[in-house]
Amino acid sequence: MNSNYNYAFLDEGSKREIRRSILKAVAIPGYQVPFGSRELPIGRGWGTGGIQLTLSLIGPSDTLKVIDQGSDESVNAVNIKKFVCLCTDVKTTIDTRDATLIQTRHRIPEIPLDNGQILVFQVPIPEPLRIVEAREEATKKMHAEKDYAPMWLQLYESLVKYKKVTIPSEYPCMVEGRYVMNPSPIPKFDNPKLHKAECLYLFGAGREKKIYAIPPHTEVLPLAFDDVPFERESFLGKKCRQCGSENTYLDEIFDAQTGEKFYQCSDTSYCLEARSHVSK
Amino acid sequence: MTLQLTKKHSFDMVFDSQKVFRLILEVMSNPTRIANIMEYADRLSGSNPLFLAIAMTLLDNEASVDTCGDHVLSGEIVSLALARIETVDTADFIFISDESGIKDVIENAKCGTLADPQKSATVVMQYQNDNRPGSAITLAGPGIDGQAVLLAPQVAIDAIKLRDAQNYEYPQGIDLLFISGNGDLFAIPRMVKVVE
Repeated sequence: MNSNYNYAFLDEGSKREIRRSILKAVAIPGYQVPFGSRELPIGRGWGTGGIQLTLSLIGPSDTLKVIDQGSDESVNAVNIKKFVCLCTDVKTTIDTRDATLIQTRHRIPEIPLDNGQILVFQVPIPEPLRIVEAREEATKKMHAEKDYAPMWLQLYESLVKYKKVTIPSEYPCMVEGRYVMNPSPIPKFDNPKLHKAECLYLFGAGREKKIYAIPPHTEVLPLAFDDVPFERESFLGKKCRQCGSENTYLDEIFDAQTGEKFYQCSDTSYCLEARSHVSK
Repeated sequence: MTLQLTKKHSFDMVFDSQKVFRLILEVMSNPTRIANIMEYADRLSGSNPLFLAIAMTLLDNEASVDTCGDHVLSGEIVSLALARIETVDTADFIFISDESGIKDVIENAKCGTLADPQKSATVVMQYQNDNRPGSAITLAGPGIDGQAVLLAPQVAIDAIKLRDAQNYEYPQGIDLLFISGNGDLFAIPRMVKVVE
């Protein structure tokens, strides 16, 4: 551990402010609590919101897992893990079940999380209404008045133009019937995992200076019309080329030389575990 | 007084406050669950180590606090956490151990606004471990799987019902933390309501 820095890098005053914001976020599920996002030795937009949450939560008894698009080995995940370890010396893991604290970019692990685990999301754009309203002042008022008509209109226009809702990721959801929330750029495949989950979900947007949360057993429903239900991505007829899983979120890989398309699990830890079961 | 306290307490501002925070987060995320913070509060001296442990975990010079007339506790919180002392209607955190004052606190604590519901108070109430029988209430809301029965002292149940009776327009509201004399902590955030 680098002893030139405070434990978990942030000074204790910063941690306290972030901790207060986390508690308010938990008390008001889906509401974006503003906070004083700190400077980190990493550029804003590279997961600084998630990192600040992780650094404010983490302690010596934690086991940390960091994933980026489901992978434990991608550049963003590896470097965040290195950075947190450098200033905490916590144990790390790639096994989802072993982790007490998981920081993620753009995926929720395939293995259901339990009540003792916390999943921290890195969020680039926390405001779900940004696609219909550019002004922060206006979106804040819309949330205050629960005025989500432009959002519904956006979905309706998509249906009229394309016969389906065309939002590919960060599909907006309604939290406890009150706040429309951006679940961060997770695929629609992961949206149902937010609903009535066992674990605590925390979302941090460093650049936009917002923290929000979904406590366990909270109602989180994707926006949908009664006659046009929410649909997630379908991988019907496809399976992971490595573990054979047919019920996971699959990445499509294209071989430019042969023109062949492959599919494999986006969650590398799950895929490894599935393969170890197959080999046994 | 300040110098004496600073010398005596052995509460680790980095590691103990992290552990206390995780316990507070656990009970806030899972209303009706009980966690105990006595191990960490024991490392603080002063008039009320349980309140001080929470203050040392969450407060700094950007947070305001009201101690409902407990001037000794106010002095300790100012000295140790550097928090600002304010009145019950403006404080971010209200620490109360006098059961007779809870009505005044709940009726006057700030509940935020529709645009800024986070600008609301967290009331931390301490109750004594005596042999008075508790009661059971059924609660529902985020963090609770369906409904849960909470067995708690009558003073805590009265406080929860009194808060519900304020009929705040959500997301406005106040969040309640209860702590017993032996360090048992549970939380009832604003969305968790009594099921009649």
